[in-house]
Amino acid sequence: MNKILSTLISLLIFSCILYAQDESFKPITDSNKTQVDLSKLTENTKSIQSKFIQEKHLSFLTENIISKGEFYFQSPNKLRWEYSSPFNYIIVFNDKNILIKDENKLSSFDTESNKMFNEINNMMIGSIQGSLFTDNERFNVKYLENSTQYLLELDPKLQEMKSMIKLIKIYIDKSDISVSKIKMIESSDDYTSIKFINRKMNQPIDNEKFNLSK
Amino acid sequence: MRNLILASSLFLLLITSCSKPYKNLIKSEYSTNEIQEIPYILPYTEKVIIYKTDIHFYKNDISGLLILKKTAEKVYRIALTTQFGLKIFDFELNHGTLNVKYCMESLNKKIILNTLETDFNLLLIQMNFDSFFVFENKLENQNLWRLKSGKINYDYIENTNSQKIENIRFNKGNSEKISVGLQNNISGFPKEIVLEHHNIKLKMNFKLIQ
Repeated sequence: MNKILSTLISLLIFSCILYAQDESFKPITDSNKTQVDLSKLTENTKSIQSKFIQEKHLSFLTENIISKGEFYFQSPNKLRWEYSSPFNYIIVFNDKNILIKDENKLSSFDTESNKMFNEINNMMIGSIQGSLFTDNERFNVKYLENSTQYLLELDPKLQEMKSMIKLIKIYIDKSDISVSKIKMIESSDDYTSIKFINRKMNQPIDNEKFNLSK
Repeated sequence: MRNLILASSLFLLLITSCSKPYKNLIKSEYSTNEIQEIPYILPYTEKVIIYKTDIHFYKNDISGLLILKKTAEKVYRIALTTQFGLKIFDFELNHGTLNVKYCMESLNKKIILNTLETDFNLLLIQMNFDSFFVFENKLENQNLWRLKSGKINYDYIENTNSQKIENIRFNKGNSEKISVGLQNNISGFPKEIVLEHHNIKLKMNFKLIQ
């Protein structure tokens, strides 16, 4: 009985902590400062190198699926996602070209021929560089903050996008005005969160990172 | 005339040899509720199974992670996500019927869903059938476990040395519609599955991650 009671109390405390974490974000108080900070994100983000941890939550699983790898971004439109766990997979967006290295198989196509990849590309670059926040045609944006982070909640307006994603949450660290986490929530409430760790901002990246060869 | 007789004889020989390839083998009949006799772990495991998946459908290529979970007796969740995590589809296979929880618009077509229902039923042995028997082929070290429903045969071919299923075939009449090749790991989980349709250009490769 004691065991049940202590489990229940632990669960209650845990859910309170979770609730408190989510609640700690409040609508922004100084909108001018936020605008200035966020414009820095677009102006100052020339390149990013970072490790990432991706978590996929599916309602029917008790544990999330974790993928890890490295991420490179070079302004204005070069992106490399390199998954190293639990599989090897590299995808490079270089202007209008998409290159994929799947184990030893190399394939390439252009973003215009693949709508889904094009959408992902725009969403990722737009999230990281900030252009998505000002895309009033496609998103309603809600600005929140706590003492250390801004949280931007992007609510897609277009039906095509809405059918895939209900809400995009972008967490921006106030210390260096860089994106630390992106969470994409689907209509079923399943979600994908991508956390960027060990971020190196505006350091030179070898151009070869955005080319793939066998 | 001689050529015609020769051609007819060859044709007769061909169809008789094709239609009853197992007639000299030892056949044992089982009850339809004994399909667990087939040495195949995938339908029964309680573990979450994740396969890295490549689907080639005519000129379209889809790749991602297939997540498979048995949620109750004869009930499965089957979801495919892109490497970025976005869901491509999320199905429930309940007693052989595919229910769509989510499916990307471009794939949410009856003909595609019916095809995937057949494929997952085949992989998880969830289809309806009338009779169940095994042919023992000692010469080739094989047991052919056959589930029969009218003119349809679902064959699960066991290598009797490894005691694991290495091939699955879906035959309608004498025509093979789907074939599946499996490579198994030590614990019996298929570590690689190649499923190919022979009447449409659809091929799926699954590589076990977890």
